[in-house]
Amino acid sequence: MRDSIAFLLGDTPRTLRGVDPTMTVLEYLRGPERRCGTKEGCAEGDCGACTVVLGRPRADPGAAPGTMTYEPVNSCILFLHALDGCQLLTVEDLHVHGAKLHPVQQAMVDHHASQCGFCTPGFVMSVFALTQSAASVPDRAGINTALAGNLCRCTGYLPIVAAAKAACAAPVSRDDATTVQRLRAMRDPAPVRLAAAGTTLFVPTGVDDLVRLLAAHPDATILAGGTDVGLWVTKQHRRLPVIVSLEAVEGLDRIVLCEDRIEIGARVTLEALLPVLAGPYPAFAAMLRRFGSRQVRMRATLCGNVANGSPIGDTPPALIALGAEVRLRGAGGARTMPVEDFFLGYRQTALALGEFVERIDIPRPRMGERFHVWKVSKRFEQDISAVCGAFRLTLDGATIAEARIGFGGIAAIPFRARATEATLTGGLWHEATLASSRETLARELTPISDMRASADYRRIVACNLLTKLHAETWSPGATPALAEIAA
Amino acid sequence: MSAAGEKDYQASPSPRLAPGAGRVVGQRVTRLEDAPLVRGDGMFAADVSFPRQLAMRVVRSPIAHGRLLSIDTAAARALPGVHAVWTAADVADIPPIPFRATKVRGLEPYCQPILAAGRVRYAGEPLAVVFADDAYLAEDAADLVVPDIEELPPVLDATAEPAEFLPGHSTEPTVVRKEYGDVAAAFRDAHAIVELALSVGRHSGVPLETRGAIARYDASRDLLELHGAAKKQHWNRDEIARLLGRPPAGVHLFEGHVGGGFGVRGELYPEDLLVCLAALRLRRPVKWIEDRREHMVATNHSRQQHHRIRAAVDGQGRLLAIDDVFFHDQGGYVRTHGARVVDLAAGMLPGPYRLPAYRVAGHFRLTNKTPAATYRAPGRFETTFVRERVMDAIAARLGLDRVEVRRRNLVTPAEMPHARPLDTLGTAVVLDSGDYPGLLDTALDRFGWTALQADLARRRGAGECVGAGIGFFVEKSGLGPSDGVRIAVDKTGGVELISGAASVGQGVETVLAQICAEALGIDYRRVRVVRGRTDRIEFGNGAHASRVTVMSGSATYRAALAVRAMALETAAGLLQAAASELSIVDGHVVRLADPGAPLMPLGEVARHMGPDSALMVGRTPGLSAERWFHSAHMTYPYGVHLAVVRIDRGTGEVRVERYLVANDIGRAINPMLVEGQLAGGFVQGLGGALFEEFRYDETGQPLSTTFADYLIPTLAEVPPLDLIVSEQAPSPLNPLGVKGAGEGGTNGVGAAIASAVDDALRRPGAVVSLPILPRTVHALLRT
Ligand SMILES: Cc1cc2nc3c(=O)[nH]c(=O)nc-3n(C[C@H](O)[C@H](O)[C@H](O)COP(=O)(O)OP(=O)(O)OC[C@H]3O[C@@H](n4cnc5c(N)ncnc54)[C@H](O)[C@@H]3O)c2cc1C
Ligand code: FES
Ligand code: FES
Repeated sequence: MRDSIAFLLGDTPRTLRGVDPTMTVLEYLRGPERRCGTKEGCAEGDCGACTVVLGRPRADPGAAPGTMTYEPVNSCILFLHALDGCQLLTVEDLHVHGAKLHPVQQAMVDHHASQCGFCTPGFVMSVFALTQSAASVPDRAGINTALAGNLCRCTGYLPIVAAAKAACAAPVSRDDATTVQRLRAMRDPAPVRLAAAGTTLFVPTGVDDLVRLLAAHPDATILAGGTDVGLWVTKQHRRLPVIVSLEAVEGLDRIVLCEDRIEIGARVTLEALLPVLAGPYPAFAAMLRRFGSRQVRMRATLCGNVANGSPIGDTPPALIALGAEVRLRGAGGARTMPVEDFFLGYRQTALALGEFVERIDIPRPRMGERFHVWKVSKRFEQDISAVCGAFRLTLDGATIAEARIGFGGIAAIPFRARATEATLTGGLWHEATLASSRETLARELTPISDMRASADYRRIVACNLLTKLHAETWSPGATPALAEIAA
Repeated sequence: MSAAGEKDYQASPSPRLAPGAGRVVGQRVTRLEDAPLVRGDGMFAADVSFPRQLAMRVVRSPIAHGRLLSIDTAAARALPGVHAVWTAADVADIPPIPFRATKVRGLEPYCQPILAAGRVRYAGEPLAVVFADDAYLAEDAADLVVPDIEELPPVLDATAEPAEFLPGHSTEPTVVRKEYGDVAAAFRDAHAIVELALSVGRHSGVPLETRGAIARYDASRDLLELHGAAKKQHWNRDEIARLLGRPPAGVHLFEGHVGGGFGVRGELYPEDLLVCLAALRLRRPVKWIEDRREHMVATNHSRQQHHRIRAAVDGQGRLLAIDDVFFHDQGGYVRTHGARVVDLAAGMLPGPYRLPAYRVAGHFRLTNKTPAATYRAPGRFETTFVRERVMDAIAARLGLDRVEVRRRNLVTPAEMPHARPLDTLGTAVVLDSGDYPGLLDTALDRFGWTALQADLARRRGAGECVGAGIGFFVEKSGLGPSDGVRIAVDKTGGVELISGAASVGQGVETVLAQICAEALGIDYRRVRVVRGRTDRIEFGNGAHASRVTVMSGSATYRAALAVRAMALETAAGLLQAAASELSIVDGHVVRLADPGAPLMPLGEVARHMGPDSALMVGRTPGLSAERWFHSAHMTYPYGVHLAVVRIDRGTGEVRVERYLVANDIGRAINPMLVEGQLAGGFVQGLGGALFEEFRYDETGQPLSTTFADYLIPTLAEVPPLDLIVSEQAPSPLNPLGVKGAGEGGTNGVGAAIASAVDDALRRPGAVVSLPILPRTVHALLRT
């Protein structure tokens, strides 16, 4: 057991012990480090002014040795332990003092991509991360995806798009090999325990350790990416006496591609999941692209989104429609259940004390199957859904062999529309079935009214998604092409 | 021009300006401000820290309206590390926040005290302040402060009949009225009358940097400093000095980097006075940084108005008269601006059109919400929406084309300058110059308006819900009365330019440096611009109302020309030449006949003008000059906004597919910066048109207190944007011919998008309020 964490701040090694484990990286940078280049615009993950980059040695099988990945993250909701074994890069690390600006910084100047400059360090870091990961110059859509998590109130963004394109056209690589070496040399495989300021945070490294810790501290808060938990601390000022982080648990970061399903471990982030789902479920991937922002997806996990038990979580409707299962593990062993059974009531889940979500299994698509998911919100990026609807139809010619429907944002829990499924199943997928299924759905849903949308609006929009589904999946006389669903 | 074209961002080539000059003015040079900002070396308020500083935390009212019975501060005071907790009783000697900009009488009872006394008038109002060793402690202590408030029913609707807001004071302190021409006769004789009820939602500047204030008192020099200042340093300095009973010279304000102003930052707020007072009393530096949730309830809101407007027209769709009654939702107090936004709305509503008769009554109404004041294009974003809705309605009523109706009513170049029997901000409205129809044609042409109509018709035929919209606007800028600038050349040829202007991130330093460099004949990068601090210059009017380039720019031009003349005169003596034969190029004195051969660096001339130079005996030494620019009238930029939108029939979502802003600003000192202003302004307007709204529940609780609830546009919402920076109509009112460029990008967005949504829905007049929300559009689609 270690009581410290070690990382590189730029190129300087840092070891921290005795720090408040719920201190955020932003507080650490601006406080003890007096590095004020990283800004706070909201302290809740919404604006990206606090974007920093976490560098880590590439671990994926295809990676060339001695190369790094660079992940943009929101430092305002990131706890310090996440830095262990990483390189933390901030805007101050890009240029060499007294020397020229970094090409990303120069591009920002050349394209007048900074006005007041408050958002600029965050954009510089997001663009820097993009230059390190983009294989070619991204198009506008690619840049939108990369920069959706950075707000700017002055420039109107377009000059920043131009700067990002210019910077990606001539990326400058870093000395990854040296950094990898230094990080390897610093690496300490022992689990971490940080205790200060009334909080004890454990970072176990093995699943058995994790099970033991949770059994010993059944009231512990499980921490995955922290994009929900971070806000409890920074905004709701909740004191969390014991936190168990999944950050270093071996094996939980795996995505296993089985013949009939995809197994997604508890540490798998949405950003890592995105390319994997893009093949079998492009609609799911497209929805994930609108989940939070890249900075959020770099940390947020699929399992955390489900375990969080929120009625407005974006992935449960899709998981329900796909017939995904959640696997729970505790001292008593493991158990598996359909995702819809995991949600018991408003923010209540089937998770027993001492249990954690080990993974989620998504079935692979089968012949004749069509899957669609739509998130309806006011703003395209980074907005909370008014309604999220997911549909899996299995068509046998014009007949609906099976229908599964999940909805979010319309009830206290993510909702499986069983009555509507029944109306659809066995029917011919034509206008009359659409009409009757719309009626069933309108009866089945009991949405709430709030500032985002009225109950009526939600109900009608939900029904309109059925119509949209029909338009997308039904062309008279044609059965869906297999190519469309191929993995 | 395809909607999804690769080119996101199109800029018009800028014509070269005034022959003879033109080395740097008019050029797209990069900004002097940028290097520290992109390196992360900026010094914003939160980055300022002093040894031994205390943190201030404000305890805010959780309730919109109530009687404040007591505040229990005992537990907070008892917390170790807490140095003081104040309530109204502790600051009773400090008068409330005064007005800066109003002539309207009778508003005094509505001024905001720095801590609530007796009554709370909006959720978020400061009730108490805590001073502690650090920000975390201060926050913990603030949580322990318990106010006892007896809730009263809140006033939330500014259109309701006036009632008592405070004992003895009405919800309506004043009505701003303006009138000219025979309105009654015009309506009597009208061919047609259109009548609309329109509203604009509550939204505001919401800069990415929240506010902050750091005060320290230097007892050794008896000097109080306030850091984190912006926009109106000199006025704020004078007022802080007055309210704290100190001489102005004993108070200095400093503006560092400023993370966006947009009208809301830099007004005098309670927190500014509280940190100053605390620094004096506690004898330690005091730092306050607003958090985002506080910002959303504490910093000025804006915009919310309801208009009931009638227009009388003749058979050709020409305006005969407008009669507007509007209600301005001011919130719980009247802040520094007094009734300025109402006055601007009333004065600017007629816009670019010939209007024989006009009557307006602006009802200034208090409600139990966050106080409102100016936000980029104040009173104009609102009234352009209203006026352009009227123009669309006239077109629909008379069966005319929307563009044609506008063309028939636009003031023509022959009618310029066009004086209206109307005033705003205390100056007569005289549209100084412009070719409105010309710019309209240019914009329509560039947008491909005619071909676009056919394309939209085709797309509608294919089932799409798409439409195009237009909005014409007139801005105002360059508010006087005066601004001064001091320019001094040092022995190395470096130039210091000290101005009373401020910068809120728009590139003031670069623009002033360009003007100075142009007139003086030097590289603009040799100019160091000092702004936003009261200790270097006695007067200043700061940065607001798109006035800096006009006012400080003109003063800079004059001061630089004066320095140039002095330099040439001195050089002529040294070089035994006539001053008229010499010029300055690239920082060197040259002979006009042979400009390629530098004769003497400017620094050398400055050295000869130093206090120990023999040449200066009996004269005031220094190669330096101070010049002022005065102006009694504002100058009026103008422009056109064009939009194409697509509506999702299933959800009612509106997406802007492409957009154009054409803005004539007389002369662009730096077209790249002007485009930056237009693009940024446009996106803010887009927020107000489609996304942003401060909402309240029926008890007056604010519902939009985070960026997750108050949606400012992200990159994904920004359509391809075409910008025309037009220089057809230089202002005759200043030596540079410039007009301000800060607000035209925002002004017409609500108008153009509303017009486009109507067009997409094929229902003229469908849009009656902003923001245009999916649920509203969705409801329209179903009826
Ligand atoms: C700016 C921003 C934007 C966001 N946008 C979206 C959005 O578009 N859509 C959306 O649905 N959500 C959104 N979220 C919420 C959040 O990102 C998601 O819920 C995310 O999936 C949570 O994952 P995490 O790994 O960060 O969870 P954490 O914050 O670490 O944990 C969340 C909860 O799940 C529990 N938990 C986590 N992992 C496990 C596990 N393996 N076993 C048991 N319990 C566990 C935690 O104890 C906690 O209760 C957003 C958040 C932010 C800050
Ligand atoms: S400060 Fe806004 S996302 Fe971190
Ligand atoms: S430049 Fe001001 S917020 Fe982006």
